[in-house]
Amino acid sequence: MRAGRCAERAERGSILAGAGVGLRFRHHQAVIDSKPPLPWFEVHTENYMGGGAALRDLDAIRRDYAISLHGVGLSLGSAEGLDPDHLARILRVAERVEPALVSEHLSWSISGGVYLADLLPLPLTEEALATVCRHVDQTQNFLRRQILVENPSSYLRFRHSMIPEWEFLAALAVRTGCAILCDVNNIYVSAANHGWQASEYLAALPPSAIGEIHLAGHSVRQLDGGLTLRIDDHGSRVIPGVWQLYSDALSRFGPVATLIEWDTNVPPLEILLDEAARANSFLESARSGFAHADAV
Amino acid sequence: MPTLFEVQRALQRSLVERDGEEAAAYILFDGLAPGARLHIYRNTSIGALTIALRLSYPAVHRLVGAEFFYGAAKIFIKTEPPRSAHLDEYGAAFPDFLAGFSPAASLAYLSGVARLEWALSRALHAPDAAALDMSRLFVAGAADHGRIVFVPHPSIGFIQADYPVDAIWRAVLAQDDAAMAAIDLGSGPVWLLVQRLETGVDVMRISKREWRFATQLCSGRPLQAALDMAPGLGAATVLAGHFAAGRFIGYRLETAP
Repeated sequence: MRAGRCAERAERGSILAGAGVGLRFRHHQAVIDSKPPLPWFEVHTENYMGGGAALRDLDAIRRDYAISLHGVGLSLGSAEGLDPDHLARILRVAERVEPALVSEHLSWSISGGVYLADLLPLPLTEEALATVCRHVDQTQNFLRRQILVENPSSYLRFRHSMIPEWEFLAALAVRTGCAILCDVNNIYVSAANHGWQASEYLAALPPSAIGEIHLAGHSVRQLDGGLTLRIDDHGSRVIPGVWQLYSDALSRFGPVATLIEWDTNVPPLEILLDEAARANSFLESARSGFAHADAV
Repeated sequence: MPTLFEVQRALQRSLVERDGEEAAAYILFDGLAPGARLHIYRNTSIGALTIALRLSYPAVHRLVGAEFFYGAAKIFIKTEPPRSAHLDEYGAAFPDFLAGFSPAASLAYLSGVARLEWALSRALHAPDAAALDMSRLFVAGAADHGRIVFVPHPSIGFIQADYPVDAIWRAVLAQDDAAMAAIDLGSGPVWLLVQRLETGVDVMRISKREWRFATQLCSGRPLQAALDMAPGLGAATVLAGHFAAGRFIGYRLETAP
């Protein structure tokens, strides 16, 4: 039943040959006017659920670029089920935009009919795994395509979590046939916050399931008592440690479509292109099979 | 072991109602109090929703200032949290909230400006729809014209306010102090029509009679009944204006009672 989906992964070598960047409203016009040399952009699905100028811009942009739809509101981990209206909105956007990729998060955002506007962590239990698998199945059936599921950054863990996050994600991919959106910055942030080994995390993910990689900046917060917490705020350049982990990820997974995310204090487009060029140099090395040791 | 449902309800109560005791009991200490860990998520959540409100209510934000806006938003978010992940639709109740928010009572026009901004925000995000082609109207025989019920463009909105909120909105967003100073708050009520045009979202001041006629037409009243309520309006000209501006996207004929 799932075998056919593996073939879709081949797309990453063609349409998504190089690094893309997250597209935000403030760069719409610059992209339309200057047509920067990138193969693709990723947008937040929720930003294009209405009509008007936003959607008209995206129609223009997608004539020249592949588009990836990255959702933040589906709440795949909700115990109370998916919101059918939201699922229908995602389908409407997907039918209009004809994206190369559709992704969501390993998290939850809705409980008791209230949307919490953040990606909250799941207790990593068999019950939660069964819930997320059910909802990924439901989403893939409804959209009639494979989706990618992204590992989150997290700032808390539950006492009753039984399954390491990397095993949870790997099991999700095996059971549903979904692909994994491996956010290397999120692995770095969560590993630092919880004392995990980032290398162990990467090693547990099945290379054949990795369909996309995210890179972003994060901030470091010093707390009382000398504790340091890393916050995934997408508001700065990718740090050297995350580039190194990215290099490790490419060594393990091979070249994978890679995205630069920047959501707060969004800089001029040139800065994003510069970060994408940096990612491209790693991708080139991964393609030619050489380890990229000098760039970090 | 708590169920997923129990854990999520507890965290929801912690984030929205600040009732975090049950949620904290589920979370590992690991060097930082569970309450502090939950607070990181609460901050992100309130921050994201405040930004959503600020995007819909930029003039309100400027009128009251960032600090006041954030304080009001925090209370509003607690009492009226979003019901869906489609945040373009979040904040419809904010004007009513501001009308009853005593710290803002000295700005009598604030909730009126907010109502206008919500109509503009709705217009901005409304689905696309092609304007009604007038030639399609002639398919209906002249005898049927009175029974025509128009379908308005989804971006159309109507606002009636006791203050010149359109002038205030323009002056505030343009940061035009001279225009703001010239506004006469005692100039009487205004009747406004909001619509998304090719060039962007706009607000137009129209007469009370035009406004009543347009609201009737856009709320499902058949043409003849709307005309009967608007004697002496010069309805032919007004209707031609509605057509030219693409305010209708379709019509049906009212079936005889």
